[in-house]
Amino acid sequence: MPIAVQIPSPLRQHTQGRDLVHGQGRTVGEVLHDVIRQFPELGQRLFDNGQVRRFVNIYLNDEDIRYLNNLDTPVQEGDQISIIPAVAGGKT
Amino acid sequence: MSLHPTTLTTNDLQSSDTSLERYSRQMKFPGIGEPGQRKLLASRVTLCGCGALGTVLANLLVRAGVGFLRIVDRDFIELHNLQRQVLFDEQDVAENLPKAIAAARILRRVNSSVHIEPVVTDIDHTNILDLIADADLILDGTDNFEVRYLINDAAIKTGKPWVYGGCIGSHGQVMVILPGETPCLRCVIESAPPPGMAPTCETAGVLAPAVHIVASFQAAEALKILTGHLEAVNRELIYIDVWDNILRQFKVSRLKDKVDCPCCKHRQFDWLEGKMGSHTTALCGRNAVQVAHRSATRLDFAELAQRLRGLGEVTYNQFLLKFQVDGYEFTVFPDGRAIIKGTSDVERARTLYAKYIGH
Repeated sequence: MPIAVQIPSPLRQHTQGRDLVHGQGRTVGEVLHDVIRQFPELGQRLFDNGQVRRFVNIYLNDEDIRYLNNLDTPVQEGDQISIIPAVAGGKT
Repeated sequence: MSLHPTTLTTNDLQSSDTSLERYSRQMKFPGIGEPGQRKLLASRVTLCGCGALGTVLANLLVRAGVGFLRIVDRDFIELHNLQRQVLFDEQDVAENLPKAIAAARILRRVNSSVHIEPVVTDIDHTNILDLIADADLILDGTDNFEVRYLINDAAIKTGKPWVYGGCIGSHGQVMVILPGETPCLRCVIESAPPPGMAPTCETAGVLAPAVHIVASFQAAEALKILTGHLEAVNRELIYIDVWDNILRQFKVSRLKDKVDCPCCKHRQFDWLEGKMGSHTTALCGRNAVQVAHRSATRLDFAELAQRLRGLGEVTYNQFLLKFQVDGYEFTVFPDGRAIIKGTSDVERARTLYAKYIGH
């Protein structure tokens, strides 16, 4: 069951420019790891010692996975995972 | 601390126009009305940063009729600001004006009934409590997480609401922080991207429409807060991308009870106490400044070099990265520390660091 994963523009250099990729799996973590298998450079952008980097937030549909079941949150057909990194700019 | 430029030539409107007539269209909107307008007129706001987001915010708030606006900014105006920073023009560039001063100058012509206080300074843990002490609301027009976590600490400690906004490339985010009611910045964004790990406006560019949308969302939330309509405040994370055609709202409000936040739950104010953040010092006699960024993660030189190529000359080995741009020479170390040659101005060096290396 392929689950769509939305890639933010700063990370698209690691997905051959694609803004939407797909991964197989039963949980958010499995899907993301399947995406990383396809695009290995994403790995260190998203994870640090197996944990989601603290400046990256992962959403399943519109919900932050931290108040679901984190990477163990189950996914269903039609779900979409979004990767939303912190946005710094604004002044200069 | 504040700098008050010479008062402009007065005209007939300036000294007399304190009536509500100028706000009639805004007052017709049921959410504001005359009671809301009177609250606005009595409100006090501190704006941190007056660049892309900040100029739009200042413009909207002064036109809306806040009573007092303190505009805090450490920077001066450059030609490449004019593409998106709506309060500045070529004359300001020619005059080398600080942003806070130029913004105050034009906004006093827009609405002379607003008390505008420009402050040209770098916001840090020694001055932020003074800058927000008399404010009802803090607005984020900054460009880096170091100062945003500082604002967050100060806002949570004093119980003042603030509105985060960030924008880069074609996308941006907005979030309102109501201390005690909503998650704080550290609940939602647990730590800043380490230097070199995230794009900056200098490396990724920024589209003015994205900036204006983000700042307009911030300003709308400001109007709700200042008129006392907390029930209307958006308590989720707004995310927009004008190039990818995305306008979404991510649910973050429940994180307040879920996250064991060091700031809003345990009241550890690491930035406010000066334990976190960059420590920057001029290197005496060398026309150079050291920016000692405390980062737990080592820089990825290959990534950083890739981002900086095209902007200037970059070389690196395993020990340091050298980058030359606009007459400045950066020497960057793996822990994030940098020595910037070509200036002895600490504020300038911090701006350069944020521009090119990251946050």
